[in-house]
Amino acid sequence: MINLRTSVSAFTLAATAAVGLAATTLPAFANDKLVELSKSDANWPMTGKNYSAQNYSPAKQITTENVKQLKPAWAFSTGVLHGHEGTPLVIGDKMFVHTPFPNTTFALDLNEPGKIDWQHKPKQAPTARAVACCDVVNRGLAYWPGTGNGDALILKTQLDGHIVALNAETGAEVWKMENSDIKVGSTLTIAPYVVKDVVLVGSSGAELGVRGYVTAYDVKTGAQKWRAYATGPDEDIKLAKDFNSKNPHYGQFGLGTNKTWEGDAWKIGGGTNWGWYAFDPDTNLFYYGSGNPAPWNETMRPGDNKWTMTIWGRDIDTGEAKFGYQKTPHDEWDYAGVNVMMLSEQKDKQGKLRKLLTHPDRNGIVYTLDREDGTLISADKLDDTVNWVKQVDLKTGIPVRDPEFATRMDHKATEICPSAMGYHNQGHDSYDPEKQLFFMGINHICMDWEPFMLPYRAGQFFVGATLWMYPGPKGDRQGFEGLGQIKAYNAISGKYAWEKMERFAVWGGTLATAGDLVFYGTLDGFIKARNSKTGDLLWKYRLPSGVIGHPMTYTHDGTQYVAIYYGVGGWAGVGLVFDLTDPTAGLGAVGAFKNLQKYTQMGGGVQVFSLNGKNPYDDVNVGEWVGKGG
Amino acid sequence: MKIAALGRVAVAAAIASAALAVPALAYDGTNCKEPGVCWEPKPGYPAKNEIKGSKYDPKHDPKEVNKQSASIQAMEERNKKRADNFAKTGKFEYDVSKIGN
Repeated sequence: MINLRTSVSAFTLAATAAVGLAATTLPAFANDKLVELSKSDANWPMTGKNYSAQNYSPAKQITTENVKQLKPAWAFSTGVLHGHEGTPLVIGDKMFVHTPFPNTTFALDLNEPGKIDWQHKPKQAPTARAVACCDVVNRGLAYWPGTGNGDALILKTQLDGHIVALNAETGAEVWKMENSDIKVGSTLTIAPYVVKDVVLVGSSGAELGVRGYVTAYDVKTGAQKWRAYATGPDEDIKLAKDFNSKNPHYGQFGLGTNKTWEGDAWKIGGGTNWGWYAFDPDTNLFYYGSGNPAPWNETMRPGDNKWTMTIWGRDIDTGEAKFGYQKTPHDEWDYAGVNVMMLSEQKDKQGKLRKLLTHPDRNGIVYTLDREDGTLISADKLDDTVNWVKQVDLKTGIPVRDPEFATRMDHKATEICPSAMGYHNQGHDSYDPEKQLFFMGINHICMDWEPFMLPYRAGQFFVGATLWMYPGPKGDRQGFEGLGQIKAYNAISGKYAWEKMERFAVWGGTLATAGDLVFYGTLDGFIKARNSKTGDLLWKYRLPSGVIGHPMTYTHDGTQYVAIYYGVGGWAGVGLVFDLTDPTAGLGAVGAFKNLQKYTQMGGGVQVFSLNGKNPYDDVNVGEWVGKGG
Repeated sequence: MKIAALGRVAVAAAIASAALAVPALAYDGTNCKEPGVCWEPKPGYPAKNEIKGSKYDPKHDPKEVNKQSASIQAMEERNKKRADNFAKTGKFEYDVSKIGN
């Protein structure tokens, strides 16, 4: 029997044994160190725990039976307010903590938690804040294990557009490169991503007409290896010769310019990527989504707007795209397609073991593709209230739109579900390979939308739509609560094992563990644990501020810890953090979350839990200062 | 904060255009001219080649539109100098004016 937990090797074994799977390549064993680190319960070396971005830990000291004994172990204030997205990294004895602008990075000693080994506090142009779309968030760090000579690196992004490499032992800057120019509206909020000896970085700023790209830098020197755009000529987009050869109906060549754009609009057409990456050493492809076209006003940009809103599979060495599937052609609702890509190996309905990619999109559809060639396997609604689309035709990949919920100039569209925030946003979700369930934090928000014309000026907002947001049909539209859900989803059956409503959006994502638990934070300031089989709420704890990041877990000196950032903000919290009251401000978020301030206020830090609060300071001598006299 | 201002500007624009609504339209995205090219103008709205000069002409200023590519090219050139110098000297220098040719 195949143990699906060790997914890569399981798939390889199965593929080798199976007749007719000759095309499956052997594992490349790329960056073995990072792969090995991610297998240990002691480490959380990348934002999604491993290259499959599963946010899943086999650790099971904390279980459904004892989770009620989970108590605070220690905490660390970052000293920074605003939205804390993402999650800390843990490698060995160190926890690496990041913050929103000013993008401070801390290395904490887990043997004496709270003791700061080093901190990196960059000086940045304050004008970066003015061009940030939706609060001044940052989604995390990346770790490069190095060659064993003390040259391991922490890679970070800054809001002012820089990608920076720090010595992981000392925090000293090793190199620093310009990736995005705030003068033309481009910022960086994405967590960088290390594969082999390169670090991937995306870009932000589609709300300012920024043309999106992903770039690979040599971790050792900072030299640019390649750059691939979302729009433009094929050579800019870096399409492989066999691009979409398995699915030519998605479209192939020559579509990034005036076949799907008017004039030079592709040069200011958005398609930034600021979400998450995943990587498969077998296919040598990395996976991510490009975001919304610019401006939001669809009448100003006729055409399918290729290749915004696309799930990409690109070769990590060359940057060339093997496949691209555009989920929302000619977007009319800001359903930016950058959300998490979770990799799994599961048998499809015909019983064939396949390499899958599952992606809960802003547009309210959760897609599962064969990640070897991009073939669409399923496309299910995240909630039965999704209404802009009737269904996705699995044969063509085309969403069959409901014209009633289209947007256009001189028209106010109403009751569109989901809202521009999507039924799922930047939250990093989890996948339990034993249960074959995805645990998804969901927004339950709908909207009215009215476009307006505006000129493009480099470095200025280029949106062109007014939005009013409110709870979806299952929420309380008078009380402005019931704005979120949490769900357990089976991508093969298309069924939900369970689903629960939440007062506010579950913005940050989820963590699954082998203890039959799913953890997540809430905007109103709780961390919660549910039974991952049933959805039953088993434990919760009140945090100093609301949560927009995802929890992680690590084991240190035999104790399993669960850690989570608190610090409300992000797009959902933009009204609270900037004290806005106009319901259409914050691109419509202020109205939807007008009651959030009744439940939480700003803060920023890491809270760590363990059974009975066990922690290194249980030995009262840990961290004590001892004078000369003893 | 920019996004606050956005909301207020948008409200004014919204009031101005509210009375001009047209009936629900038929574009459902399934009528493709070729693979990947499925967009159609909604009835009463301009096709791609008709938008210039229409009331929905975005009137893009080529000077503004080309600013991004110029900026990216300049960043790439500076980064190359930094990386080359780092590889050559073993010391990283961010300020390109301090890097010799």
